[in-house]
Amino acid sequence: MNRANAPAASNGERNLWSRRLALDFRAALVVVAALAAAPLVVTSPYTLGILIVSMYFALLALGWNLLAGFTGQFSLAPAAFAMLGAYGPGLFDYQWHLSLAWGIPAGVVGTAILGWLLGRVVLRLRGPYLALTTLSFAEIARVVVGNSYDFTRGAQGLNVPTLMQSRVGYYYLFLGVVLAVLVGLYVLMRSATGRFWLAIRDDETGAESRGINVVRYKTLSFALSCAICGLAGALYGTFSQLVSPELGLLLQTGIVIAMVVIGGMGTLTGPLIGALLVYLASEWMRGFGNVQMIVFSALVIVFARFFREGLWGLATRRVRVTRRTTVAAQ
Amino acid sequence: MLAVDLFVNGLIVGLFYALMAVGLAMIFGVLKIINFAHGEFYMIGAYTYVLAALKLGVSPWIALPLAAVAGGAIGWLVERTLMRPLYAGYASWSIMKDEYAVVVTFGLSLLLINVVDKVVGPYPYRGPTLTESSRFAFGPVMLNGQKLIAAAVSAALLVGLALFIKRSLWGRQIQAVAQNRLGASLAGIDATRTTSLIFVISGILAALSGALLAPVINPSPDVGAFPAIKSYVIVVLGGMGSVWGAMLASLLLGVLESFFAVYVSYDYRDAFGLLILILVLLFRPQGLLGERGREL
Repeated sequence: MNRANAPAASNGERNLWSRRLALDFRAALVVVAALAAAPLVVTSPYTLGILIVSMYFALLALGWNLLAGFTGQFSLAPAAFAMLGAYGPGLFDYQWHLSLAWGIPAGVVGTAILGWLLGRVVLRLRGPYLALTTLSFAEIARVVVGNSYDFTRGAQGLNVPTLMQSRVGYYYLFLGVVLAVLVGLYVLMRSATGRFWLAIRDDETGAESRGINVVRYKTLSFALSCAICGLAGALYGTFSQLVSPELGLLLQTGIVIAMVVIGGMGTLTGPLIGALLVYLASEWMRGFGNVQMIVFSALVIVFARFFREGLWGLATRRVRVTRRTTVAAQ
Repeated sequence: MLAVDLFVNGLIVGLFYALMAVGLAMIFGVLKIINFAHGEFYMIGAYTYVLAALKLGVSPWIALPLAAVAGGAIGWLVERTLMRPLYAGYASWSIMKDEYAVVVTFGLSLLLINVVDKVVGPYPYRGPTLTESSRFAFGPVMLNGQKLIAAAVSAALLVGLALFIKRSLWGRQIQAVAQNRLGASLAGIDATRTTSLIFVISGILAALSGALLAPVINPSPDVGAFPAIKSYVIVVLGGMGSVWGAMLASLLLGVLESFFAVYVSYDYRDAFGLLILILVLLFRPQGLLGERGREL
């Protein structure tokens, strides 16, 4: 496939999807800008820590959304890849006494390769079969890491050196990574690659019959998505200075799914605001007797049942309607 | 003679697995979805049994049917409120059907775990046994009274279910809907009511499984995760949607696991089943029995 066959996004004839994507991206940039300004107001290290963790979840949500929202591959393994990524710096330090400059890239490359392999393995599987296989992969990864006492110290976890002492420094590091991932996703989704992913999501057989290399683009999506989760995990490991198999619990995957579904699947802003809102609100609700998980799991069901487009979709519903009426008026 | 002991105890574990997995297989057979909240049906059964016996002070033999009622009720409620979009006239939803099912059942699983955690508390309860007896040796096999009775109840339930599906009118309707929902509707079968029935039966069986095991597992809110994962393995191994395949695969997995735990590795016994799941899906997706097993 070459450029010529892709919808002519570059010719100035911008179709509805690229308009929506551009709007989506701009809104995501506004959120990032708001986050960038936040340390001017928020100075307590505790609140900054909460924001950092919420950005960790935003990275996982963006990574998972690339696979589930854009490519239609409903994986249940994002938390497992975050755990595997976090063990990159953990193991490099513990086993071989190599610095984080080796460990973090190793975590990212390792999860990218594992993600690519998983993508190869599950190529033919769809829907419930895919969900079960990725769930099994995630649980096997957690059991193996948790039981290899000699290599990973098992459930005790590993201590990881920190990148820097400054909370604010970490805050901007995470924010920079979120921004880089957003820009990267936007560029990809604008390009032919993004269109192919969407085509595979909407109709895999149809996409293949139009000459799209489904194998290549599906495995690419798996590798990228898992690498984003791995990077998030590796950075989070150095921030919390402890990695353990708990990072890969299925519950964590459930939280990531909740964030994306509430925010809006298949968008850029959706996972971002979903992660921030869910995590910040859950910290806030801790004060009211730990009801946050009840509220969010109920919200996920309500959103999946009644508001499938999520918060971002609800917010832009009106935008789309006005566009449609202007087109009709013309 | 360790092998005989492992074999018999593996079979008994397999019977408990079967109670869970058969319901999951029936749901898959009819709706082609995996119910990720199935472990929570089990958890609710275990809690109903334990709390009815400890807090209300009823006899365990009355608490057992109470658990079944609770399981059936939750199954009915889930079908009524959440499963209807999967089939009843929501044509435009068909593209996202798989995603909807995963999100909703996954969310439901989290919801039930956290509600129970909040209402009952996170600490495990010790369930009362159906009979007081110490361990005894039956030949080379070590057993105890509770285990024997629970196994007998499970076996009776499974045989009853098999007869129900094969012989009764409702059972035949379930078979028909699983084979061809549209065809069954055209023949005058109420497919919606049949789907409700399947969820009620699944809920009852999973809840009874939890109740029977309550004295052993000491229920805590997340107790359902473990048997749920076992039943995913079993449903895949038995051929997705096949009830007979699921029964056979449960016994097989029970025995294989009990040998694996002793002879290969105790720590990795849970990963073993999941590895089977991946391998079966990749190399023999039709399951052990193949296409024949598809008949519900």
